[in-house]
Amino acid sequence: MSGFNAGGSQLDTSWFLLLAAVLFILGTVGVLVRRNPLIILICIELMLNAANLTLVAFSRQLQNLDGQLFALMSMTVAAAEAVVGLAILVDIFRHRDAEDIDDLSELKG
Amino acid sequence: MAIAVFFVAAALAVAGGIGVVTFRQPIRSVLSLVVVMLALSVEFLLLSAQFIFVAQLIVYAGAVMVLFLFVIALLGPARETGRGRLRFQAALSGLFVLALLGLLWSMLQGIQYRQPDQGTDLSTFGTVQSIGIGLFTKFLYPFELTSLLLLVAAIGAIYLSRKEGDDR
Repeated sequence: MSGFNAGGSQLDTSWFLLLAAVLFILGTVGVLVRRNPLIILICIELMLNAANLTLVAFSRQLQNLDGQLFALMSMTVAAAEAVVGLAILVDIFRHRDAEDIDDLSELKG
Repeated sequence: MAIAVFFVAAALAVAGGIGVVTFRQPIRSVLSLVVVMLALSVEFLLLSAQFIFVAQLIVYAGAVMVLFLFVIALLGPARETGRGRLRFQAALSGLFVLALLGLLWSMLQGIQYRQPDQGTDLSTFGTVQSIGIGLFTKFLYPFELTSLLLLVAAIGAIYLSRKEGDDR
């Protein structure tokens, strides 16, 4: 077990990794189980956040700032993804109600 | 002290994550996600990532979540009702998630970190200064490409939300 010092007490890096894993799995459950497209986008945000926590945790453990810079990049990607995803969703909802993601199957071969 | 802060924030984050998945109304899911973001920002502070902490608060808990709230306000409340079309979806996803959980757990059991990098000044670790130096030296090209990505996203959003028949 390996950790680092934060404010005088010893924190374990694997706690952060475990928390990130739990949050990522919760996001996966949401994407797989929920059927509202909006909620699926929200769950993707949750997964991206969990990945960010992993990056920052490793950055602190290895005392290397690259992880934090990478987390910033992934934040940008998440923001762009949310913007485009929501725009597509609004465009779909303008034509018809799509409360169930299974209704949007026109592109199925 | 820091340990207590970690566990309180972790419990809040997990509770918010469960809320995101289980609430029926989208607005409650979004507000639960705000709770997750705030709890995660505290974790970032514990990991001495001050700049990421502020960026998380402003970009995520501020901008992205307000965007989600606007879209929900625009589309109106939509509740999920009835069963899905795919009957085995729930069972299959449960199986998949259990497999993923087992995989991650077994990976965390045997984890071994390499030696921390030498020569890092921990007193300025994660401050605006050190982040800025990193962004404008080592990560200059990715940083500039980020602006291109944001431009493309903005143009795409404007194009997608134009009025019907307005194809000039």
